[in-house]
Amino acid sequence: MAKKISRFEKFVMKNPFIQFYMFLYLNVKILSVVAHGHGGTR
Amino acid sequence: MAKVVILGAGIAGHTAAAHLRRQLSKEHEVLVVSPNRNYQWVPSNIWIGIGRMEPKDVIFPLEPLYKKKGIGYKQAKVSSFHPEGSDTEHKPFVRVEYVFGEQKGIQEDITYDYLINATGPKLAFDLTENLLPGTNKTYSVCTYDHAAHAWSGLKDLIGKLKNTNTTARILIGTGHPKATCQGAAFEYILNVEQELRRNKVREQVELTWISNEYKLGDFGMDGMLMRVSGKPMKSDELVEMVFADRGIKWILGAGVTKVEEGKAFYENLDGEFKTEEFDFAMLIPAFSGHGFKAYDKANKDITEKLFKGFMIVDADYSSKPYEDWTVQDWPETYQNPTYQNIFAPGIAFAPPHSISKPRKSKNGTDIFPSPPRTGMPSGITAKLVADNIIDSITTGSESRKHKGSLGNMGAACIASSGYGLLQGSGISITTFPIAPDYKKYPESGGRDLNKTIGALGLAGHWVKLSLHYAFIYKAKMKPFWWLIPE
Ligand SMILES: Cc1cc2nc3c(=O)[nH]c(=O)nc-3n(C[C@H](O)[C@H](O)[C@H](O)COP(=O)(O)OP(=O)(O)OC[C@H]3O[C@@H](n4cnc5c(N)ncnc54)[C@H](O)[C@@H]3O)c2cc1C
Repeated sequence: MAKKISRFEKFVMKNPFIQFYMFLYLNVKILSVVAHGHGGTR
Repeated sequence: MAKVVILGAGIAGHTAAAHLRRQLSKEHEVLVVSPNRNYQWVPSNIWIGIGRMEPKDVIFPLEPLYKKKGIGYKQAKVSSFHPEGSDTEHKPFVRVEYVFGEQKGIQEDITYDYLINATGPKLAFDLTENLLPGTNKTYSVCTYDHAAHAWSGLKDLIGKLKNTNTTARILIGTGHPKATCQGAAFEYILNVEQELRRNKVREQVELTWISNEYKLGDFGMDGMLMRVSGKPMKSDELVEMVFADRGIKWILGAGVTKVEEGKAFYENLDGEFKTEEFDFAMLIPAFSGHGFKAYDKANKDITEKLFKGFMIVDADYSSKPYEDWTVQDWPETYQNPTYQNIFAPGIAFAPPHSISKPRKSKNGTDIFPSPPRTGMPSGITAKLVADNIIDSITTGSESRKHKGSLGNMGAACIASSGYGLLQGSGISITTFPIAPDYKKYPESGGRDLNKTIGALGLAGHWVKLSLHYAFIYKAKMKPFWWLIPE
């Protein structure tokens, strides 16, 4: 049975003010994961 | 003076050319050979396919930019590789054929000191019977013109639904038992769903996801465990939650082998042969190598030294069972082991194996996703290849200092799930590493849970839209473009 997206979660997902902070967080996260180095494994 | 030849001007080829030109002095030649006169930012094709962007928004002509920056350009396609030269040409060369203008059809041998093969995949529609974009009510979004065509088909269907109050079936997913790029199809189905709602015809449409994945959210990466709102969640649970919310049905473990007008024929993992009917379908084809040939100095066929479908690089290609796969199998420098001045970043390199667990149907048909190599890794691998070549040229000794294995590299998959500044939405997933490292992260499905996160909401749409503008800015090599990471 799939988990349901609650009304509150939908509100958070659509609220532009909350999402603005999420936007900033995601940009920082993406930069830290993608741009923050890569290398070999051997 | 060194000459670097780059085949292909997609994300990988164009990134390599831009970095090489910026860092190498003008005495060194940088030459791009690519049959498409335009650069295209492929990830935004999704929005062309729903009529929210036009091809002109995702492309720009390469020649004027290259002329301005001092990068040579030939609108041609490579047909054969001659890494030892020939009896008349002592330098290695590639044979290319012009595809446009007065020189169309003319062949030329282009010599090089370093060669970057960034020709990406061949969109192998021919591997699925009658799967041709624009025929049999089936479309593709793999190129900007395919996507524009898909939009015209979808627009017609929406118009018909509005005018006649009838019902329709839409099928979106993978069009081959070993297709990859599930992420693009996933984005497209969610965007189509939103457009149907916006046009007030959603109730009239049965929307179905068809895929060669064993579980939803596999994405060719064996799925992933991630942190969503601080809690661990599997990608199949996340996608199932989104599909249930949007009323999208799904068919999994399906290898589409044939298409007829409004019908997709597939085999599933239980070995059953089934048919799914549709009024509009978008099915991603198999990606294959281009079928290039290679010859030695004596003109003997040495294709197997360079190609295994895609180009052979420093991966471990020995065949071993899924349980024995390790991140060490994945390449680090994208250098061909036999001809060390040839490299293949982006999609052009032959992967050692898939990332998803290989599965066979009861009839023995392979049905599982091939490994994806998305835009960010394509850019990163191209830059590291360029950096090694730059170091080698400037220091005079061959450098392989820059490395980047998919087993030690992160990716951000920002899946648009609806367009609109306030009505849009997106599913943002960061993954580290791309190829799971089950030894390093045994408790979390091979991924670092601090770096593998998922988030749903409007912010994802803004991120995807800002990446569109940022990467086109970067590709146009506008001031300080190199500060934007790959
Ligand atoms: C619809 C869609 C959506 C996507 N969305 C995302 C996304 O949101 N995020 C993400 O990270 N990735 C995404 N991807 C994947 C991403 O687009 C690819 O990873 C990326 O384009 C690969 O870059 P590449 O340069 O290796 O290959 P390509 O982009 O395919 O470029 C290959 C180049 O080689 C040229 N070429 C072909 N044949 C020859 C020849 N014979 N001689 C010379 N040149 C040749 C082509 O003209 C082209 O210029 C998406 C892909 C698709 C199809």
